[in-house]
Amino acid sequence: MIRFLWKGILRDRSRSFLPIIIISIGVALTVLLSAYMQGAMTDMVDQNARFETGHMKVMTKAFAANQSQLPNDLALLEVSDLLQQLEKDFPMVDWVKRIRFGGLIDVPDQEGNTRGQGPAIGMAFDLLNPQSEEVKRLQIEKSIVSGHLPKTVKEALVGHDFAEKLNLKIGEEITYFGTTMNGSMTFQNFKISGTIRFGAAALDRGAMVVDIQAAQKMLDMQDGAGELLGFLKTGVYHHEQAAKISQAFNDKYKNDPDEFAPEMYPLKAQNNLADLLDYADMMAGILVFIFVLAMSVVLWNTGLLGGLRRYKEFGIRLALGESKPHIYWMLILEAVIIGFIGSIFGTIIGLAGAYYMQIYGIDISDYTKNSTMLMPSVIRAKITPIIFFIGFIPGVLAMVLGTMLSGIGIYKRETARLFNELI
Amino acid sequence: MKTETIISLENVTKRFPVGEGEFTALDHINLTFTKGEFSGLVGPSGSGKTTLLNIIGSLDVPTEGKATVIGHDIASLSHKASAKLRNHHIGFIFQVFNLLPVYTVFENVEFPLLLQNKTASERKKAVMEALDWIGLADYAKKKPNKLSGGEGQRVAIARAMVKRPEILIADEPTANLDAANAHSILKMMKKLNRELGTTFIFSTHDEKVMTYLERIIHLRDGKVELDERIKNKNQAS
Ligand SMILES: Nc1ncnc2c1ncn2[C@@H]1O[C@H](COP(=O)(O)OP(=O)(O)OP(=O)(O)O)[C@@H](O)[C@H]1O
Ligand SMILES: [Mg+2]
Repeated sequence: MIRFLWKGILRDRSRSFLPIIIISIGVALTVLLSAYMQGAMTDMVDQNARFETGHMKVMTKAFAANQSQLPNDLALLEVSDLLQQLEKDFPMVDWVKRIRFGGLIDVPDQEGNTRGQGPAIGMAFDLLNPQSEEVKRLQIEKSIVSGHLPKTVKEALVGHDFAEKLNLKIGEEITYFGTTMNGSMTFQNFKISGTIRFGAAALDRGAMVVDIQAAQKMLDMQDGAGELLGFLKTGVYHHEQAAKISQAFNDKYKNDPDEFAPEMYPLKAQNNLADLLDYADMMAGILVFIFVLAMSVVLWNTGLLGGLRRYKEFGIRLALGESKPHIYWMLILEAVIIGFIGSIFGTIIGLAGAYYMQIYGIDISDYTKNSTMLMPSVIRAKITPIIFFIGFIPGVLAMVLGTMLSGIGIYKRETARLFNELI
Repeated sequence: MKTETIISLENVTKRFPVGEGEFTALDHINLTFTKGEFSGLVGPSGSGKTTLLNIIGSLDVPTEGKATVIGHDIASLSHKASAKLRNHHIGFIFQVFNLLPVYTVFENVEFPLLLQNKTASERKKAVMEALDWIGLADYAKKKPNKLSGGEGQRVAIARAMVKRPEILIADEPTANLDAANAHSILKMMKKLNRELGTTFIFSTHDEKVMTYLERIIHLRDGKVELDERIKNKNQAS
């Protein structure tokens, strides 16, 4: 019987052609959008991990509570010991120190008077240590627009747009003004080794990148760090593992009432990323639902038109001894087959599009200019295993739903009536 | 003498809703048909011939009265049971070309057997035999749109007879055919009637058909006007 249906679908192009085209388009769009959302989410999580959250992050409890204010007075101290302990307890994780700091950049002229000034969002990474993975992890070299990485603690990278605005040249001196960990004023001169653009609005506003030792010194944070970031050595965020490590670490300090006691947070527990990821899942769900609905309505109507054309066929089949319910089920089976064919075509088209978008991406930097969230400026699609299957849900479901609705007409019509179409 | 009753109609009445009121298409029909009969319904257009054949063929149910076909009360059958009755015991031939367009001659004739879940080899054997009866074995792979009207009607006969039904219903089977084709088809049906013992019921306006019938039932305004048994010159042929 399936072979009988199959022959009908193949030979009667007008029966299958339009639905297959409609399904292909819908499925291709679903696949493309899903891949695109996957890509956006993955990029976003990845970028957040690299710059802000790590796969897990250790801070003091007090620091965590006031994180947005860069409260370096609440930073971790004696981090060398803590790092040693972490490396021993969790050898599958690469641990690094980070300091973020605010302040002012002052550009002096020849006489030492202020030529220009701007706010600085400072970031200190372990740049000079040859064992450090940070330069590679943060892709700093790729982000350098001109010049080179700092080679000494006396050198700094400054944000490219900031440098252009103040007309800064490589090799010129700038002065950083800020407060130390203990609250006293501090200033420090740096030579500009290069300019940098990370491509994320939240990072590029007045950015200044120095070595971690330079920051520790100028902020009076000997052996201190605002945060310790952990990266799983596999390179891929794995929530269960990160949560387990965090739990194990936090259990040790469970009964420590000290507000400077360290605490570990997995990525998903930071920056509302959990909400964001749930939201993305929900959006994907809604998207698929909308496609199912819209395509069902269209296919319902094509089903009605096709059904009218086929009343004669149904009449003959009834006379030959098929029952109405059987004809109805065969129609649905036919819909499943057509839905599958359409979904296969649609998935191929969608994957081709997604593959293209995976390479080229869409530049959204214009839209994220003012975003305070860490978002990549170019969003690329990402093809994950689920992308190969996701299109089949709306494809097959919509065709079946559309056919079920249009097929009701067969039930409503009296048998003799269907049959009279013959005469 | 075979007198086994295969169809019995008692006070069969059919009314169709028309606008606010009703239209009586069949009005208290009482008839019986015995096994192997070669009979026909004649009457003016609108007299109820098709309506009556549809009820006998279990494609429709009477509004009133009782229609019993091969022991089944037509009105009480489920979708499935009435489909099964048609599939196994009743063959249909219609006025117009009524083959499934996208399927070949072979596949059209095979379809009723497919519904009976017969195996591929059983189907092939039965289909080729049926195509032999009608002399179109070479046409197995042709599509219906490549056939003439007469050939199409012969394939319809093969499809109706392939399952060897007890009853064959033919609603104006010759209306669209020329005289030569009409006679050829009628001879074919007469032969199958004799060889397989199938009960034939026609509806017709065609004088040619009437010359083959053993029994002619005249309908007018949904009533039986005359039920005559006749000796015809073509009956023996
Ligand atoms: N489903 C229906 N709804 C309403 N009226 C119907 C329906 N089917 C048939 N009729 C009416 O019932 C009457 C009998 O119709 P039927 O088709 O049985 O006539 P017939 O004898 O076969 O005529 P013809 O020789 O033209 O085929 C006609 O007046 C027709 O309009
Ligand atoms: Mg009629």
